[in-house]
Amino acid sequence: DTWRYAFEEALDEVQGIYAQKFKEEIEANTDHEIQLFPYGTLGESADIMEQAQDGILQFVDQSPGFTGSLIPEAQVFFVPYLLPQDTETLASFFRNSKAINEMFPTLYADQGLELLTMFPEGEVAITTKEPFKTPEDLDEVKIRTMTNPLLVESYKAFGATPTPLPWGEVYGALQTNIIQGQENPMFFIESTKMYEVTDYVTRIGHNNFTTAVMANKDFFEDLSDEDRQAIRDAADAAFAHIIDYQKGLTEASVEKIKEAKPSMTFTTLSEEERQPFKDAAGEVEAKFLEMTGDSGKEILDQMKEDLKTAEDATQS
Amino acid sequence: MAAAIFSIMIVLLLLGFPMMVPLIAGALVGFVTLFGGLGQLETMIQQMMAGIRPASLIAVPMFIFAADIMTRGQSAGRLIDMVMAFVGHLKGGLAISTAAACTMFGAVSGSTQATVVAIGGPLRPRMQKAGYGDSFILALIVNASDIAFLIPPSIGMIIYGVVSNTSIAELFIAGIGPGLLILVLFAVYSWAYAVRNGVPTEPRASWGERLRAVRAALWPLGFPVIIIGGIYGGIFSPTEAAAACVLYALILETLVFREMGLRDIYRTAKSTGLITGVVFILVAAGAAFSWVISFAQIPQAILSGAGIDQMGQIGVLFAISIAFFIGCMFVDPIVVILILVPIFAPVVADVGLDPVLVGTLITLQVAIGSATPPFGCDIFTAIAVFKRPYMEVIRGTPPFILILLGVSVALIFFPQIALFFRDLAFPGEAG
Amino acid sequence: MAYVSSLPGVLGTIDAAIARAESALLAAGVLLMALNTVANVVGRYLFQSSLFFTEELNRILIVVITFAGISYAARQGRHIRMSAIYDALPPRARKILMIAIALITAALMFGLCWFAVAYLLTQAGRGRVLPALQIPVWTTLVIVPIGLFMTGMQYLLTAVKNAISRDVYLSTVVLEGYDDEETEV
Ligand code: NA
Ligand code: NA
Repeated sequence: DTWRYAFEEALDEVQGIYAQKFKEEIEANTDHEIQLFPYGTLGESADIMEQAQDGILQFVDQSPGFTGSLIPEAQVFFVPYLLPQDTETLASFFRNSKAINEMFPTLYADQGLELLTMFPEGEVAITTKEPFKTPEDLDEVKIRTMTNPLLVESYKAFGATPTPLPWGEVYGALQTNIIQGQENPMFFIESTKMYEVTDYVTRIGHNNFTTAVMANKDFFEDLSDEDRQAIRDAADAAFAHIIDYQKGLTEASVEKIKEAKPSMTFTTLSEEERQPFKDAAGEVEAKFLEMTGDSGKEILDQMKEDLKTAEDATQS
Repeated sequence: MAAAIFSIMIVLLLLGFPMMVPLIAGALVGFVTLFGGLGQLETMIQQMMAGIRPASLIAVPMFIFAADIMTRGQSAGRLIDMVMAFVGHLKGGLAISTAAACTMFGAVSGSTQATVVAIGGPLRPRMQKAGYGDSFILALIVNASDIAFLIPPSIGMIIYGVVSNTSIAELFIAGIGPGLLILVLFAVYSWAYAVRNGVPTEPRASWGERLRAVRAALWPLGFPVIIIGGIYGGIFSPTEAAAACVLYALILETLVFREMGLRDIYRTAKSTGLITGVVFILVAAGAAFSWVISFAQIPQAILSGAGIDQMGQIGVLFAISIAFFIGCMFVDPIVVILILVPIFAPVVADVGLDPVLVGTLITLQVAIGSATPPFGCDIFTAIAVFKRPYMEVIRGTPPFILILLGVSVALIFFPQIALFFRDLAFPGEAG
Repeated sequence: MAYVSSLPGVLGTIDAAIARAESALLAAGVLLMALNTVANVVGRYLFQSSLFFTEELNRILIVVITFAGISYAARQGRHIRMSAIYDALPPRARKILMIAIALITAALMFGLCWFAVAYLLTQAGRGRVLPALQIPVWTTLVIVPIGLFMTGMQYLLTAVKNAISRDVYLSTVVLEGYDDEETEV
């Protein structure tokens, strides 16, 4: 059969690389074929998600941040300083976490989706027009965020003026100085040319962009055991591939940006400098709990526990 | 399937169905064929909603509203009187000013549909009074508005830059050369039109008269200040500038000029809503139609048979131009860019073409497609706003389309039209 | 020129009331959109805080305007069409073609209305909410099937009007031909 797989990024960005590897594995090990639909070719994130729920698409990649309107608990990935920055700890967490591998699949199943995998896309960095090191430096700085209450809350807590803006307007708004900053993983800052309209990239380590790949549940359950296994294996192989692919991806993107714009300044805040931002994270966590209640608390607690396990495992 | 869909659409169009019917029917046939029945038509509704959702579209009703208030009140008349005081004595002066105003407004507002309304609305009656033919006026307004695609900020170029991993800043600069060239050629044609058709000129205004005209236009001059100063000055996004214009227009016409009352405002808002509905239902239907084309991978099927990988640089550039020109005749430009750019990307890299040149050429085709029958969005807007028949709106377009196609060909053989300014601004990138 | 429904009795009263409701929705939608957008700018500069819901509210309003607008435009005979061939036909052929166009368009609108309702029900079942406003998505789309249904009704009535009268009508109240006068409601 021909299966269709849509995602939120371009073919040569992280989600696209994952999708290509997944396609390669499926086509090598089964007699099915996969058609890939990159960003915008079948609609926005919410559209392709619905199409996967309707069974028009067999596979979809949607970041939990966008899933928040459907599954509020998925917004836990917007709680700052929850995920570790260390790649190995992160990979171990995603592989073994009970929250990711047992609790989230149930939530997705309620929406007619089989959660295949969640994977990190890279540390979120902030690009701005002026340098900053403290929340005070961000006073009156307008930073673009997605239309998401937790993200808005985060940047308020960081001292900035969060400004929700559709993605299509961000480049122009930075150019004309309506906003003075935005956040994204480094590869995305490079590929979407955000460095052309900002001058400073600051890593405060507050988040790692996470995404999720799902299959339509009815489609998945109607498959033969071999096909289901082939899909699980392909998802695992693509996960391993994407973790490997991301080693050094941030650094490579930094190099590309430096080559294109030597004057770009990169700053990584020290642990001490990060402390005031970390202190602000408590407010966001409270907001998350307020929005999601008991089930949110359950997920958050479990994630914290899983993260501790992952840290212990990688440090020993 | 593609052939069947296109034939149905053309037949319904020619029979005189409301334009939304061919578009909706095209999408409907696509959905039914793809999914073997009516089972997935909810997605068609979803995509119609998706079509009218982009935030940038909000600028359209806002500029329609502002322009309508200005035209019904005194603001537009005073601004045009001022321009006429300076160019009224020149052969084709009003037409050339209209073209320049469309280009500038479109460039700044980022919306060609808004331009058709905001500049075309007030200027069309004045051009008619001056003796220009209506078909010429409508074609000039629609085509000059589309030059804006090439002048920064250009949403088409931003999308292309992101999809093809090309510098958006370089694209912006590369668009200026071809954009200005087209404007100059439109100006030459306007002058030739005025001479050939004996459009009369007004007597040259004295400096005293000019000063009086400027003074009368002082309040309405706030509009260009809000739009140009507001957007380039980083105060407003284009949509916000449009809304600010609405507010300013309301204040001017109700409080300063005392030309309109609440009843008039209600009436104007309602008429804005009607035009918006008429145009946006087509945008919505077009989005559902685009989705079908994309989902069925029709462009991939057509292009894989065309043998583009066998062509040289010039051949590839021609193939790209033709593909985008035809695509934009039927489907929303943004979707065309998203679908076609990745298909062409490997070939572009293989033959060693400059992606900035390719992007400029594509943006030019997008501009042409939006003004080209049968399904050009700006044509719809002109019909809805000016209440003129379809054929009358497109009758005057051939000379303009010829100029645009001529510039496309020139750009293929003389890339410096686009790349000269780019190389000047980014010396490292040459070659 | 005031809008006078061409329907008899109670139906006419209802029709006129619907026409007024549509035009009120249109005008309110446009004015609210302007107000909402300007308020966001004011908030950003005066209070250092963007209205987090501006974009979502505008998206809701644009749907309201579009779908109230298509019905209102159908009533006014203002939908865009390419009439070159149609205009060249003799009156009797034009009348037959117009009846066919109106009936097919009406059928298409009723069909779309049906699927819009189905889409709404699916949305309601999934419980998706708008991220900023936190209201269910389906509630923001209620106008869609209503607008489609009303548009279908207008075309259906246009077919009837053409069948029972001598002249050819673009809508229940508008004769064919391009007319600069807009009927006031
Ligand atoms: Na532009
Ligand atoms: Na077009």
